[in-house]
Amino acid sequence: MSNTIASEYGHTDTSVPIEHRFNPYSDNGGTILGIAGEDFAVLAGDTRHTSGYSINSRFQPKIMDLGDDLVMSANGFSADGDALIRSFQQQLTWYHFNNQNKKLRPSSAARLIQHLLYGHRFFPYYVHTIIAGLDEEGKGAIYSFDPVGSYEREQCRAGGAAASLIMPFLDNQVNFKNQYDPATGQARLKTYLKLDEVLNLVRDAFTSATERHIEVGDCLQIKIITKEGVREEFYPLKRD
Amino acid sequence: MNSIADSFYSNKAEESIDNEFISKKLSLTPSLAMPPISKPTAFLRAHTDDNTNPDCKIKIAHGTTTLAFRFKEGIVVAVDSRATAGNWVASQTVKKVIEINPFLLGTLAGGAADCQYWETWLGTQCRLHELRNKERISVAAASKILANLVYNYKGMGLSMGTMVCGYTKKEGPTIYYVDSDGTRLKGDIFCVGSGQTFAYGVLDSNWHWDLTLEEALELGKRSILAATHRDAYSGGSINLYHVTEQGWKYYGNHDVGTLFWETKAKEGSFNNIVS
Amino acid sequence: MSDPSSINGGAAVAMVGKDCVAIACDLRLGNQSLGVANNFEKIFNYDHTFLALTGLASDVTTLSEVFRLKTNLYKMREERSIEPETFANLVSSTLYQKRFGPYFIGPLVAGINSLTGKPFVCGFDLIGCIDYAKDFVVSGTATDQLYGMCESLYEPGLGPDDLFETISQAFLSAVDRDALSGWGAVVYVITKDKVTKRLLKTRQD
Repeated sequence: MSNTIASEYGHTDTSVPIEHRFNPYSDNGGTILGIAGEDFAVLAGDTRHTSGYSINSRFQPKIMDLGDDLVMSANGFSADGDALIRSFQQQLTWYHFNNQNKKLRPSSAARLIQHLLYGHRFFPYYVHTIIAGLDEEGKGAIYSFDPVGSYEREQCRAGGAAASLIMPFLDNQVNFKNQYDPATGQARLKTYLKLDEVLNLVRDAFTSATERHIEVGDCLQIKIITKEGVREEFYPLKRD
Repeated sequence: MNSIADSFYSNKAEESIDNEFISKKLSLTPSLAMPPISKPTAFLRAHTDDNTNPDCKIKIAHGTTTLAFRFKEGIVVAVDSRATAGNWVASQTVKKVIEINPFLLGTLAGGAADCQYWETWLGTQCRLHELRNKERISVAAASKILANLVYNYKGMGLSMGTMVCGYTKKEGPTIYYVDSDGTRLKGDIFCVGSGQTFAYGVLDSNWHWDLTLEEALELGKRSILAATHRDAYSGGSINLYHVTEQGWKYYGNHDVGTLFWETKAKEGSFNNIVS
Repeated sequence: MSDPSSINGGAAVAMVGKDCVAIACDLRLGNQSLGVANNFEKIFNYDHTFLALTGLASDVTTLSEVFRLKTNLYKMREERSIEPETFANLVSSTLYQKRFGPYFIGPLVAGINSLTGKPFVCGFDLIGCIDYAKDFVVSGTATDQLYGMCESLYEPGLGPDDLFETISQAFLSAVDRDALSGWGAVVYVITKDKVTKRLLKTRQD
């Protein structure tokens, strides 16, 4: 009997330190979506925060206003996302101190984020990042990043859990992919969408994603950037 | 308890990599954070390599099918624009040619971020060379800066296969192939990426030195088209460049969706496709 | 990636309309990244009942033949063609017989019941659990994309022409976001007394 107790509670001394499998990552679900218009940009995301099948919060907004008419969201592992956004904000504050509060352009913000992400190349931030703003000409700009900092300016991009559900819908409805003019048989010409059309698409995309993805739902947060500044709207999503 | 905490915060692997590779040898590069464990590379592989671990959490975007070849009138560079993460087509509009400076181009295959980041970094190194030496950097030197850099990181999981293309007075049109194993080769024809074999097939059977510019651009475009057709991980559109003594010139973006049917009708090729 | 269900690639979808159903599949057969054939249809019909099979190509061919045999035997014994609902149960029981060594496929059944005139679609998992749907079912390597497209483009009560447009747009945009699907597509629109088969001109990359 004492033998059993000793073997269960005793511990063997090994010459090498015991290393448990180091897993610092988790996935908090959620989806984000950015669309650029002619003179505006929108960044939207749901507010559900999950781990596994559990819902941690039904209202944890993840689209952040950075000032300088820039909005940002880093979707995936929310602790990494928050850390990334905070280090960006700190860098932005220093940039303002050093440059008489000069406004940071989206293109420069994008390059900075690349460096922040690539700085963790061998210990990546587990996030898909999207920023939205207006470029020097006042045109809508969306930049999207992979977890280690490769980035691209795009018209639209979905990121996160339901990106694969939303992205083909965007190809079809924003860039008119696979749409042809019935009269001429030519590909439908690309035109800029108006703000209310874009907002309708965003809401449709999220209601659809909510229907088919368990990590998406509860509430939709949309930030809209125009030359007047940043505006925010909320819409309910299904909570099941 | 303290000793446990210490073992996480000061780490042998972290120190040696930090000091040896970054702080001393590579100025201007940021220090790259390491996971606080003894084998950072195994950690990285477990979490990012979707080949060995298909349900890994971080899918690094991979790029594919690029080519560059030398001919009488300079260099033609042609690339596709698809990025995939597993079977998911992450993007159809990736810029896989990186304009290092007005005389140097780099192509992107492998890890998108690795190529994008280190080739822009290469641009800064080339500019510093100009400021220090009052002359443009040679393609040989530029490609060697990159080759040495990736060699420093050898075995740590960088993934890039790139062609550094440029023109200098003393070298003429020059292509160097550099990859993340540390290989650096000078040559006339290179195709890199998952669709490389398909591109070589077309390129090798039609390339000759005396190609006119128009023919060369067409051949570059046609070779990538063949690759986008057969290779699932290549596609989107084709970006074309021409490099001469005057620097590089962009020859447009060609959507494969329409280009394919135009080519089929024009050449009477691709007869395996019905409609 | 040695997952048997995503070696060859391929996708399929079926939708219900007003007194009609539509079913679509792509034409690609690949070996991992290499495209091998662009004429590999994944929809088979047993008289007025349509079956789409995605997944491992060898299982697709095998099962399509198994069901040809079984529906022929059914026809001889019952002296009538099999109805979609009945066929769905046949598929289900056939797949469950291989519960512990399954076929790596994702079947869809679509058709209109010739007695009641009711449109019918359903999907299955690889061991035969039936997913009865009143709107649409999807399968293959582009399932996520298809769910996203169908959920946002689909509306109930579409006529044959509108249903064709909807299923085509949904299918094309979905497979364009999947590396292993595409290379041509086929759409069947089925009404009580007519079946139209259309080949879609798609991207070839």
